[in-house]
Amino acid sequence: MLDILRYGVILSFCATFVILCYLVFKTYHFNKKKHYSKPQGSGLKGIIYALGKGLAPWEKESAVKHLPTYLAGILYHIGIFAAIFYLFSLVITFHIESLFATAIKILIIIGTLCGIGLLFKRFLKPHIRRISCPDDFASNLLVDGFLIISLMDAFVGSLRAVLFAVAIILILYIPLGKIRHCVFFFYSRILFGLFFGRRGVLPQKQWHTRSYNG
Amino acid sequence: MDEHTPNKDDFKDRIKKLTSDDFEKAIRIFQQRLDSGYAAFLNSCVRCGLCADSCHYYLANPEMESMPAYKLNLIAMVFKKYFTPVGKKLSRWVGAKELDRQLVEEWIDSLFGRCTLCGRCSLNCTMGINIPYIIRTARGALAEAGLVPPGLQSTVDTALKTGNNMGIAKEDWLETVEWLEEELQQELDDPNARLPVDEKGSKYLYTINPREAMFFPLSISAVAKIFYAANESWTFSSDNFDVTNYGLYSGDDDAAGIMSSRLIDSVKKLECQSLILAECGHGFNSNRWEAPEWLNRKYDFEVKSIIEVIGGYIREGRIQLDPSQHQKVVTLHDPCNLVRLGGLIEEQRFILQHAVTHFVEMTPNREKNYCCGGGGGQLAMTRFAERRIASGKIKADQVIQTGADVVVTPCHNCIDQFMELNKHYKLGIEIKTVSEIVADALVIPKKPA
Repeated sequence: MLDILRYGVILSFCATFVILCYLVFKTYHFNKKKHYSKPQGSGLKGIIYALGKGLAPWEKESAVKHLPTYLAGILYHIGIFAAIFYLFSLVITFHIESLFATAIKILIIIGTLCGIGLLFKRFLKPHIRRISCPDDFASNLLVDGFLIISLMDAFVGSLRAVLFAVAIILILYIPLGKIRHCVFFFYSRILFGLFFGRRGVLPQKQWHTRSYNG
Repeated sequence: MDEHTPNKDDFKDRIKKLTSDDFEKAIRIFQQRLDSGYAAFLNSCVRCGLCADSCHYYLANPEMESMPAYKLNLIAMVFKKYFTPVGKKLSRWVGAKELDRQLVEEWIDSLFGRCTLCGRCSLNCTMGINIPYIIRTARGALAEAGLVPPGLQSTVDTALKTGNNMGIAKEDWLETVEWLEEELQQELDDPNARLPVDEKGSKYLYTINPREAMFFPLSISAVAKIFYAANESWTFSSDNFDVTNYGLYSGDDDAAGIMSSRLIDSVKKLECQSLILAECGHGFNSNRWEAPEWLNRKYDFEVKSIIEVIGGYIREGRIQLDPSQHQKVVTLHDPCNLVRLGGLIEEQRFILQHAVTHFVEMTPNREKNYCCGGGGGQLAMTRFAERRIASGKIKADQVIQTGADVVVTPCHNCIDQFMELNKHYKLGIEIKTVSEIVADALVIPKKPA
């Protein structure tokens, strides 16, 4: 049974990968447009900024103003990646050193707490709740469930079948709902960097002029 | 057109009378204008809401309808419903919705009435979603269904019909130029000082915001004086002198393309090397960045802002400035279309450094600056005027914090908004363009007798 579920995880992952590629392909060809205006800056530099320094919280006022939420989001995602790594260590059966395993457990614990915190925020903040759809809550719950079961399995080690089953559901759900942002995030950031990079807005230069008197 | 006229009710009637054909047309245009990038953006929003207080509307009045994520979601709902398989099958689950009368009303209220397309939310979006351009695309769909608020639509119509958004007749324009030329000759005591019109082979074709000809002729004189001091070869066009393009705001690419192509025609007809854009934020964004995309063509001539030209004169030593002419405390407002969306960030600062003695930056500034509230066609949509003035509170507070006596801004829409903010929030400031500041500081050597 466990082997069937193990192969199920691999197959669902492959299926989701193919569907996500198709989604990206379809989106890319939705209505392709060429740029005709003469660039002022570098699109490439803009993209590098958007995927690098531009993600730092101090680069965005929204992140600075909402630092706990922004950090919770980052830690949540780190926790998810840690859980996925743990899952694949079980599926492909490779050994994780105990120190590393402890680090993964800590990351999953923090990620789970942050995920639950963000879910509560979505429930409790009226404006966020109003713009949310069932998929927003379901996606968060599904991921939180996956994190919690990963954690329980990592500590107790007897929930492998449940973990694989939940992982299959989660992986298959990715292209259907908001979790697809796992690929569209990069797509969007690249376009963001390209737009502001071509126009010479980003990356910000070191400003030379300051307020002065006389 | 004043929207506090019976036309406002006509507009509501128009929404009531929308047919399924109108909705289909709107969706068709929405699909045509929505490029692959926007489709990716619409797949990306996670509705985290962190963008909320990057918007001056939300900051001034924290209503959910002013949240950028809410506005984007109004559009994403429709995108999902019509263009994604999951949205078609599981609409409620993923928040997909058909475009109906209720949603159209929400689109108009939020996308026209609560957004200046300033792009500040985009810069603050974790995903980097280009929210203003998606909103503009949805505005374009509304335009196709005849649902652009009348004041904004009439500005577009006037420009299409008469060649400029104020409906200035050619004779009146030429008379204004003639009168300004006489004034300039008197001021400079030089009968050779010119405001040339239709002079073939001039290096620069200079365009203006028609409001300058009607209400702010000193802005035109200021630029003419700078060109005179730099001994520049330049000309106006008698037909196409309007730098503005309200098609950018109505979302109507076809109308916007027609307006921009007129300027190209004049550049070609007058055999000029460059198109020089007056101090107009959206005029810069339209003609520098968007027009080639609307027209699907590369330009074989240069498109520059007058700010870049003046900066060049200072660098090359072609004009001399005496900053002591400006002793008052000066601050600079960064127009969104010129700075955040246009990439012209430092040149106006470089110029002011040479033209004024006491300069104070606003906080935040440059691409992070707050919109004054005058963009997005808001000044033409009187039905949303109260909101516009309320949203300007953020800018008014920024100005107060600087303690400045003079606000300089290279944009006439911003100037109009600042004039209203000045009155409403009792700021007690002077409002000037960069050219006006430079013209006042110009050192023009006396011609030998």
